[in-house]
Amino acid sequence: MNKKENFVKGFIKENPLFVSLLGMCPSLAVTTSLENAIGMTMGVFFVLVLSNLIISLIMSNPKLAELVKPVRIPVYIVVIATLVTIVEMFMHAFVIDLYRALGVFIPLIVVNCIILGRAEAFASSNKPVNSLIDGAGMALGYGAAIMLISIFREFLGKGTLTIWGDLQLNLTFFFNFLKIEPIAMFVQPVGAFLTFGLILAGITAIANNHKNKLAKEVTNNG
Amino acid sequence: MNKGFISGIVLLTIGLVCGILLSLVNHFTAPIITREENKIKYAALAEFYTLADYDLSEVEGTGAFGTIYVLKEKGTDNIEALVYTVSAQGYSDSQLVQMLIAVNNDLSVEGYKVVAQQETTGFGADIVENDFNVTIIDNLNDFDAVAGVTKTSNAIRECFTLVSQRAVSDLGGGLSE
Amino acid sequence: MDNLIMIAFSAFIIENIILTQFLGICPFMGVSTKRSSALGMGMAVIFVMLMSSSVTWVLYRYVLETFDIEYMRTIVFILVIASLVQMVETFLKKVSPALYKALGIYLPLITTNCAVLGVALLNISKGYNFVEMIVYTTFIGLGFLFVMYIFSMMREKLDYSPVPKAFKGAPIALVIAAILAIIFSRFGGII
Repeated sequence: MNKKENFVKGFIKENPLFVSLLGMCPSLAVTTSLENAIGMTMGVFFVLVLSNLIISLIMSNPKLAELVKPVRIPVYIVVIATLVTIVEMFMHAFVIDLYRALGVFIPLIVVNCIILGRAEAFASSNKPVNSLIDGAGMALGYGAAIMLISIFREFLGKGTLTIWGDLQLNLTFFFNFLKIEPIAMFVQPVGAFLTFGLILAGITAIANNHKNKLAKEVTNNG
Repeated sequence: MNKGFISGIVLLTIGLVCGILLSLVNHFTAPIITREENKIKYAALAEFYTLADYDLSEVEGTGAFGTIYVLKEKGTDNIEALVYTVSAQGYSDSQLVQMLIAVNNDLSVEGYKVVAQQETTGFGADIVENDFNVTIIDNLNDFDAVAGVTKTSNAIRECFTLVSQRAVSDLGGGLSE
Repeated sequence: MDNLIMIAFSAFIIENIILTQFLGICPFMGVSTKRSSALGMGMAVIFVMLMSSSVTWVLYRYVLETFDIEYMRTIVFILVIASLVQMVETFLKKVSPALYKALGIYLPLITTNCAVLGVALLNISKGYNFVEMIVYTTFIGLGFLFVMYIFSMMREKLDYSPVPKAFKGAPIALVIAAILAIIFSRFGGII
C-alpha cells in the first residue's frame, strides 16, 4: 500500500463512521450545526494524528516496545487522555463558544473507539510516517462523515449552514419557495438518529449497486 | 529485575511526563481561560460600565439579593458604583423576575436589565423594552407602571424598592466584603 | 427529598442517556440484538458506572480540587475506570464464575463506553453532592438498561420482518431509535 492509498482509505473504503460504525456518540450529538462538526473534526484530527505518531514512535523502538508491551493499553490511554486534555484547554482558552457547544464531548474524545482502535490496529505495528498519514486520513474521513450529517441536519432543521462564528449561509429561501417552515425535528435528538440511519441506508444502497456492477462485469468477462 | 515492575515504572514515567506537559499547557492557558470566562460572566455588566476603568469585586448578597458587584475607582477604596442582582416575586413563588440594577454613587440609576423572568409570555416579555424613567432610586414616584402587566411591573418596582432601601448605606461603605 | 425525586425522574426519562444525551451509543447498537445480551450489558454498565462515579467523585472533590489540578480529571477518570473494570473482571472470575459468565464478555467493552466516563464527568459539572450523585448515576444507569431492553425487543422482532436490502442492520436500527427518541422527547413536557 503506497502513501496515497494509505491516506485515502479513511475517506471511503475504511471510513470509520459509515463503514466501521466507530465513534457514533459524537457524530449524533454534535451534528446540530456544521460549525460544531468542524470543531469536533479539528479536535479529533489533532488527537488522532499526534497519538498515532507518538505511539508509533514508542513502539518502533524495539527496546522500548518490549518494556511497554505488557502495559500498552494503559500507556495508549494516558497518551490519548493527555492530548485530549490539551485540546480541551486550548478550545476553552481560544474558542470558548465552541467549547461550550461541544461540552462533555471534548473530554469524551478519549473513549472514541476510533483513536484507541487506530493505535492498537495500525500505529503499534507501523512506521511513524505511515501512522501519521493513517491518522490524518482517518480523522479527515471521520470529519467528512460528521460534516455530511451536520449539513443535512442544520439545513433541514434551521435553514442555515454555519461555517464558523458569524460566517453563515442563509438558505431559508429554499423553505420560503416551498412555503414551509424549516423542520425543527432535524436538530432535535430524533433527527440525529433519523438522518444517520437514512444516510447509512443510502450509502449501503450505493455500495450494493457498485458491487453488483462489479460482479456483472466479472461474469461478462468470464 | 522483575519484568512487571519495570513495565510499571515505564508507565509511571510516561504518566509523569504527561502530567508535567499538562501542567505546562495549563500554566499557559489558565489565565486566558479565566479572562474569557469572566468576559461572558460580566457581559451584562459591560453594558453599563467600561469594566477596564474600575477595580471590580463581588459580594454575595442575602435574601432577595444575589451577587452584588462593586466597582471601585482604580487603586482606591472609593466606591464608584454598585450593580445589584436582585429578584422579586411576580405571580407566584416560583415565578421570579431577576434584575440587574446599576446605581452610581450619586444614587442615579445608570441602567437596569431584566436578566431572567418567567412571567406571562407576551405581556411580560416586552416589558423589558419599556422605559420606566427611574432615574434616581430614592425617588420612586416617577416609576411608570405599564398597564396590563401590573404584576410584573410590581415585581420590578419591588426590585427597585429593595435596592433603594440599602443603596445609601452600601455606598457609604456599609457593604462588608 | 423532592429534589432527589426530580433528579431521579429526569435522569431516568427526560435526560435519557441514550436517546437525548447520545452517550453509550456503541453498546446500544452493538449488543442490543438479543434481549439477554441487552440485559447483561445494562447490568454491567450500572455496576461499573456506580463504582466508577463514586470513586471519581471522591477523587475529584478531595484530591484534585485540594491540589488545584482539576485539569487532570480526564486522565485520572479514564485510568480509574480502566483499572476498576480490570479489577471487577478478576474479582468476578474468582468469586462468582456464574456471574462472570453472564457479564464477563461485556466488561472489556465498558472501558471505552463513553456512558461511564460521560456520567463521571457530568456528575462533576452538575455540581452534585454525594447523595445526589448516587441517585443520578443509578437512575441514568436504569434508564440505559430500560432503553436497551426495549430496543432489543424491537430488534428481535425485526429479524422476522421484511426490511429493504439497503436498510438491513444498522440503518433500520437507527430509524427505530429515532422513533423511540420521539416518544422520549415528549416526556419532557411532564415537568
